[in-house]
Amino acid sequence: MKNKLTPQNIILILIVCFVPLLLFGIDLLARLLFDNFGFDLPIPGASSILRILALTGLYVLLAVGLNIVCGYTGLLDLGYVGFYLVGGYTVGLLMTRFGISYWIALPLAVLNGAFWGLLRGVPTLRLTGDYFAIVTFGFAELLYQIVKNEEWLIGNVNGMVNDIPRASIFGIELDQNLYHYYHILILIALVVFVSYRLQHSRVGRAWVAIREDEQAAESMGINVSRYKSLAFAVSAAIGALGGAFFTQLQSNLAVEVFEFWESILILCMVVLGGMGNIRGAIIGGVIIGSLGEVLRIVLGFNPQLADARFLIFGVILILLMRYRPDGLVFRKT
Amino acid sequence: MSVFLLQLINGLVQGGIYALIAVGYTMVYGIIQLINFAHGEIFMLGAYFALILVTATPLPFWAAVLLSMVFCAVLGMLIDYIAYRPLRNAPRLSALITAIGVSLTLLNLARMLWSSRQRTFPDDSKPAIFQSKIDLETGEVFNAIPLPDGAILPYTDIFIILLAVVLMFALNRLVHLTKIGKAMRACAQNPVAANLMGIKTNQVISVTFAIGSALGAVAGVMVGLREAIMPTMGYHKGIAAFAAAVLGGIGNITGAMLGGIIIGLAEAFGGGYISGGYKLAFAYVIMIVVILIRPSGLFGKSTAQRA
Repeated sequence: MKNKLTPQNIILILIVCFVPLLLFGIDLLARLLFDNFGFDLPIPGASSILRILALTGLYVLLAVGLNIVCGYTGLLDLGYVGFYLVGGYTVGLLMTRFGISYWIALPLAVLNGAFWGLLRGVPTLRLTGDYFAIVTFGFAELLYQIVKNEEWLIGNVNGMVNDIPRASIFGIELDQNLYHYYHILILIALVVFVSYRLQHSRVGRAWVAIREDEQAAESMGINVSRYKSLAFAVSAAIGALGGAFFTQLQSNLAVEVFEFWESILILCMVVLGGMGNIRGAIIGGVIIGSLGEVLRIVLGFNPQLADARFLIFGVILILLMRYRPDGLVFRKT
Repeated sequence: MSVFLLQLINGLVQGGIYALIAVGYTMVYGIIQLINFAHGEIFMLGAYFALILVTATPLPFWAAVLLSMVFCAVLGMLIDYIAYRPLRNAPRLSALITAIGVSLTLLNLARMLWSSRQRTFPDDSKPAIFQSKIDLETGEVFNAIPLPDGAILPYTDIFIILLAVVLMFALNRLVHLTKIGKAMRACAQNPVAANLMGIKTNQVISVTFAIGSALGAVAGVMVGLREAIMPTMGYHKGIAAFAAAVLGGIGNITGAMLGGIIIGLAEAFGGGYISGGYKLAFAYVIMIVVILIRPSGLFGKSTAQRA
């Protein structure tokens, strides 16, 4: 990754940016061809494909965020969904209760996420391995229980927040899947940039040193507590950013979205791509994030299918750890 | 007063069940330092297997329970053999992620096979002592002890408490008096040294998985008798049982038993007196507080750092 602007990279970026144009072009062409002959389109329309891409992008964002704690500092975070929840409900409640604009609620949600990341992170600084994993899991479950039970806080049973207004920019309401696509694209670019710059800075090197040997890192003069806290805060902030975007994609919230298995899903993406690797996290997010949606379209909606999807993810985790513990996509750098 | 008594009994019964599951977690952790996330799912499969045996075959209830224990023991050993043994020398994180993978696989396999619907043992399959009921007209109570204020104490509850005590006692004797128990304790202290002394470590680990899983199966059937059988039961009860293991000092069998009782009572009284909606949360809170304040648990020896 020395030359960041190689021709291949520029072409890739251009393709990603013009995917909607391509999709709408195909859509239009297919409609012109098929409508004349009275066929039903065998493929979903461009708009719904863009929606799947936006959802996939959301998972990419979360995978990149989780990668900071799991990959760089080597701590297993089983409660990442907690920050996703914090971000989602911060934006949802600020917008519906107080009528605050999305563009103000978004940074507030990110700050709130970082706050909760620190709140969880500081007591767990000296924990490693299993115990850290268990505390993170318990923390996310507690947040889930609170949102589920505290009706005065959320204003509805089961953490339902309905009719979250859409953000608007220059008077245009961002309610189309096309806008969601670019919205998440910009967020991903931002997060990847931050994550990349951190990885290749003093901070990133300190994180990797902590991952490899905490005591050795400390004796080399690295302030372990400070760098770990920073990792928790940044990772949590990205999770909250994902939650904030989710409110725009769905326009309502229910607590079921933030179940424990979602954390595992995101973990699966990071593991698939290879922990500690941004490109790996992105590709893992794209593969697993889109897999479920693609399966749903190909096989039709079926509740058993959702279970089958998670069954496959479980098998993926087992096989990866057995045969390719450094990830399928790239070797650990 | 009656509410207090009911909650106390409820807590003790839950606690006995948690203790039965918790020893499975704690024994495995004691030897290979792995949180066997799949243990909750083994417990769930034990309940389903017994249910299938009593409904689909003419086997009597007790035979079904025994067969289910055998099935779970084999399943536990199989999981260890297929998933965990190849990772014995890999980083701890890999084994932990594998354990989550196994848990996820088994849970969703159960969902696909039997759907998420709640099931119970059909009345005609249960032995008579588990069919407690109250005749509303005469006020006559069957298979239960009447309590003041019209409440009843079913024999099922008494049976579960007694069974948990007996099994725990048997396990305690097994670990302390038999040869395999001695080998297990040796492996928990130092697997390498145990191996050098001629103990086949892998065999001992297999036996540990088998015993823990068989006890899990019993607990699964008990939950099936008292509450309901569904795929997510392993997840919920498993976490509470794990909290019990942590509370008692993970790796410590006696601690797991006492931890189970404490968690059970905390859930019953917390759920009864503070808030029913947070019933599940009490175990999480206890678990987090114990890990943060005293990671070695109430009864564990304090170690420098359990990585």
